[in-house]
Amino acid sequence: MKHDVVIIGSGLAGLSAAMELVGNLDVAIVTKVYPSRSHSGAAQGGVAAAVANHEKDDTPDLHMYDTVKGSDFLADQDAVEYMVNAAPDTIIKMEKLGCVFSRDGEQKIAQRAFGGHSRKRSCYAADRTGHALLHVLFEQSMKHKKNLTLYNEYYLLSLIYKDGVAKGVVVMDSKTGKIDIIYAKAVMFGTGGYGRAYNITSNAFSCTGDGIVAAYRAGLPLEDMEFVQFHPTGLYQQGILVSEAARGDGGYLINGKGERFMEKYAPSVMELAPRDIVSRAEQTEINEGRGIDGKDYVYIDLRHLGKEKILERLPQIRQLGIDFVGVDCIDNPVPIQPTAHYSMGGIPTTLDCRVLADVDGTIVKGFYAGGECACVSVHGANRLGTNSLLEACVFGEKAGRTILEDIASLSHEDINEEDEKSVVKKRIDNIFASPGTESTNAIRNELKINMTNNCGVYREKSKLETALSTVKELQEKFKNSKIADKSKLFNTELQEALELQNMLEFSELIVKGALERTESRGGHSRTDYPKRDDDNWLKHTFVSKQPDGSIELKYKPVTITKHQPVERKY
Amino acid sequence: MAVKFVIQRFDSEKDSAPRMEEFNLEIPKGATLLDCINLIKWEQDGTLTLRMSCRSAICGSCAMRVNGHARLACKTQAVDVVTDNKVVIAPLGNFPVIKDLVVDLEPFWASLERIDPWLKPNESVKWERERLQTHDDEKLIDDASTCILCASCYSDCNVMEVDKNYMGPATLAKAQRFVFDTRDVKTKERLDQLNELTGIWDCTHCAECSTRCPTDTKPLARITELKARSMEHGYSNSAGSRHVLAFRESIPGKYPGTGGGLINENYIPPRSLGFFNIPALIGILPVGIRMMIRGKMPPLLPHTIEKFDEIKRMFGRFKEYLK
Amino acid sequence: MKYALFTGCVAKGAGRELLTATMIVADKLGIELIDMKDASCCGAGVVHEDNPRLADAINMRTFSLAEEQGLDIITICGTCQGVMRRVQIRCEQKPDYMKEVNAELKKDTGREYQGKVKVKHLYEVIAEEYGFDKLAEKVTKKLTGLKVGPYYGCYALRPHESSDVSVPDRPEMLEKAIEAVGATVVKWESMQKCCGFPILMPNKTNSLALAGNVLNGAVEEGADCLVTPCPLCHLNLDSYQPEIDSLKAEIPVLHYPQMLALALGASPSQLNLDSHIVQAAKIMESVKA
Repeated sequence: MKHDVVIIGSGLAGLSAAMELVGNLDVAIVTKVYPSRSHSGAAQGGVAAAVANHEKDDTPDLHMYDTVKGSDFLADQDAVEYMVNAAPDTIIKMEKLGCVFSRDGEQKIAQRAFGGHSRKRSCYAADRTGHALLHVLFEQSMKHKKNLTLYNEYYLLSLIYKDGVAKGVVVMDSKTGKIDIIYAKAVMFGTGGYGRAYNITSNAFSCTGDGIVAAYRAGLPLEDMEFVQFHPTGLYQQGILVSEAARGDGGYLINGKGERFMEKYAPSVMELAPRDIVSRAEQTEINEGRGIDGKDYVYIDLRHLGKEKILERLPQIRQLGIDFVGVDCIDNPVPIQPTAHYSMGGIPTTLDCRVLADVDGTIVKGFYAGGECACVSVHGANRLGTNSLLEACVFGEKAGRTILEDIASLSHEDINEEDEKSVVKKRIDNIFASPGTESTNAIRNELKINMTNNCGVYREKSKLETALSTVKELQEKFKNSKIADKSKLFNTELQEALELQNMLEFSELIVKGALERTESRGGHSRTDYPKRDDDNWLKHTFVSKQPDGSIELKYKPVTITKHQPVERKY
Repeated sequence: MAVKFVIQRFDSEKDSAPRMEEFNLEIPKGATLLDCINLIKWEQDGTLTLRMSCRSAICGSCAMRVNGHARLACKTQAVDVVTDNKVVIAPLGNFPVIKDLVVDLEPFWASLERIDPWLKPNESVKWERERLQTHDDEKLIDDASTCILCASCYSDCNVMEVDKNYMGPATLAKAQRFVFDTRDVKTKERLDQLNELTGIWDCTHCAECSTRCPTDTKPLARITELKARSMEHGYSNSAGSRHVLAFRESIPGKYPGTGGGLINENYIPPRSLGFFNIPALIGILPVGIRMMIRGKMPPLLPHTIEKFDEIKRMFGRFKEYLK
Repeated sequence: MKYALFTGCVAKGAGRELLTATMIVADKLGIELIDMKDASCCGAGVVHEDNPRLADAINMRTFSLAEEQGLDIITICGTCQGVMRRVQIRCEQKPDYMKEVNAELKKDTGREYQGKVKVKHLYEVIAEEYGFDKLAEKVTKKLTGLKVGPYYGCYALRPHESSDVSVPDRPEMLEKAIEAVGATVVKWESMQKCCGFPILMPNKTNSLALAGNVLNGAVEEGADCLVTPCPLCHLNLDSYQPEIDSLKAEIPVLHYPQMLALALGASPSQLNLDSHIVQAAKIMESVKA
């Protein structure tokens, strides 16, 4: 199998990149699901762009400042500037492709408020914006079918990377278990995040960091892995997302004493504070016994919005409440808790989506990344709501354009197929052949509980140390795990085991980065180091795997252009 | 609650026929059906195979048949589908099964591609900004645009069971989303295709699609809208559209003897098939003769209701009602 | 008990035996039926494919006629019942829309629908208001030994929101009536599938394949006959049996009121049972006296 470009991941980033390339190059997309099943579709509340439909004084500059401030000043400001400037055109392009946006009174794309944004700039399609964007690109992929090969339900096993060059990928056809090599002049990753390692998470089963780990195993660094966003409104116990639009449209957060507790934490913007702040506020209320009935949840109350507004603007989240916790938000407050939601860290890239090989800016030839799996970094320590869909669209498209620029200088490289296959086959054979006794399910559960409890909203040294030793124990246990399904045909048990292996690998990196970073910034909050420490920590973490298997940590300065760090208050 | 999960098992490489296997499970409080199936997979039998992803009813992966009907496992509270202490789970219908609850979805995607499921705007008009669309116009495509392509409708569609060439409910709902999109200009081409055999007129109104649809897409309602839009555009090239015309003419008795408030059942078949469509007319002769023999033929002169003029007036203002 | 009877077109056309049986049942059970002589066709779902507001309007006109009579409506056609329920639900859910259509209706007829009429099919009235116990008491000729397949038809069951059956995927209203008249219920896998009638004109091949699926399933489970509350299902399932190549054996199809009437003592000839294409009169032979 050979293509000019192979894109791993069929979410917004991967499809956006593909749309730039179809017709010009021979493009293939590899996805472990089907494009319409990608997790981009789960994003609800909107996509940020200063199109200034709702508030005429909005500008990309304001969007930039909000994003930088929201990131707790860890975002690279050149990247943010690029994204916010590209945002309006990107949204308008999506509209032109046919995206069904909600409309305002002037027939333009409607916009709503979102946490951390100083203007109403979230363009939306009711509360299923990700779905609307994803499906319009899926439609376009069918339009360009002749020029686009889709490898649906193919699982990424490894990145083929040698001597500074990415040459292709090793994949497994889920339907047959067959392992194949795809040669490509350019490899692009849009493989999504790594939130699945948490017990309470909004992430799909598919968000197991496969791409991130493939890059890491190949010897490439990962950036800012310790920054995981906890979304304040996950449905109690299920973790399923209640869109931030629920707060954007006026929802109240209520504790066990019936108080709108956000007035203690962010008096000027209340519920519309950024997610890290609201999640911490909730966790504090819960930890101090002010959860509902003293339990580990609080309420989001939408009743005052009225039936009509809820049905018009929040129909999906109403249905989720009914289906998953048996609560109709028209009549009752909905029980919620912080849920692992977004991975700020990932594969480091340049502004142009070229993957970085080190902190010095060395570029990997033929390797590109965009969207949640990448760390460009536009979100720094905390992402603002509605900036993720934007990032995926903007940088997916950018990756495509960069590949077009680079392609002339790229070629199909020789690959030692047997070597490449044998590495992954060994991994699979170990799983198949293991006479083990450990249940993969038990290992997975233990990992998830460990990560939520010891490396969650609030972190501290001793807990992180426990987290680290637990992850290492579980890595050892995994070597002695067992699976029942030894067949080739659609072996989801094998795939889940491979995904678990990935989660065990990256979880260590999250914890490691968190342990080293002795400050609190954005989504990373240390109770033993409660203050942000710009003198020592205004820098990105780079972790990479050493030949002996150990983890090397290095740091890279933050790019600051327009906005000097100041205290972050709302 | 301790419940028996009866799950269809099948390995297309090894088995000649599916078998049902029973698993006992204590349903945890608040567990979705997907949670339960996963508990069985993770704790009892790792070979049990299914698709799943988002857990929040937006990706459409975990559609399967529960007690005989398609639904999303993640969107279903397990206790809600227990009957006689039992839940019966099978793969989606109308698809070849690959393994256990995993079916070969290729026919579904292939059907979708038939209708060019992408916007075809007027390329000659350049918009600097977004194209404008009123809130009301957006509403026309709002329901269809909620489709998650889970294939529940395709699974339970009755016509699909007897005719794999039928476009199927999801595809037709997707077509509605473009026909009714004020930004799409290929309405005529789209309606032409939809009015052919295997299109909208082949829907038998069984309403399985809308009943099983986990979103607001409700394909039957969309198909009905497409039919109405076709009639507005004057289509009469199919027996389906002429059947509609037959009702339009028969109820108000447009021509003498065609109806009297109630329809004249003698008028409907030839009008639908075409008065000059001799082979089709010959095709309905046997049933006509059978009914005549049994004395079942409707009276030649239609039954006329007492205040027939009211109905005539209403149909006389057909266009005003269309607004 | 007194109702306005909405017969629908078939009971006054190709299925007059349905009306005959209905009147006998009503008489035997003491249900007073006033024929709505002014009522028009419900549109059978077909007019809704042409002009939805006009289709709603002709039904709202029918409802207003019943309001004038001060009676609720009883239907004897599953399709009419389903179509009319859907109109009622639209009126309930969208009062503004109802007002708009009423305004049009008023222009043409001077009538308005007030939203006060209930529409129930005979089998629902028997189930919910008359009662199966009372029905069983009135039975003079138990249909003992007769194996009956209940066939509701799509409009009675789906979409669930417009079905009056409490658990539409597991309905009991016909089953209990079958038991009340002393017969035995036969269930089969395809019992809730479509009979194919709506596509008889556009696609006869598919239509008859659907009918064949329904009939064959019942035959395989050993049913002596089917009973249906929908005369359109009856048309496809009965009249076309000779043309269904895949059919494993002929099987008679009874209208719901015919089954009741037989048990209430009416004779096959009174009911004109031999008007069916597949001879329904014969099934009486299997009934033990």
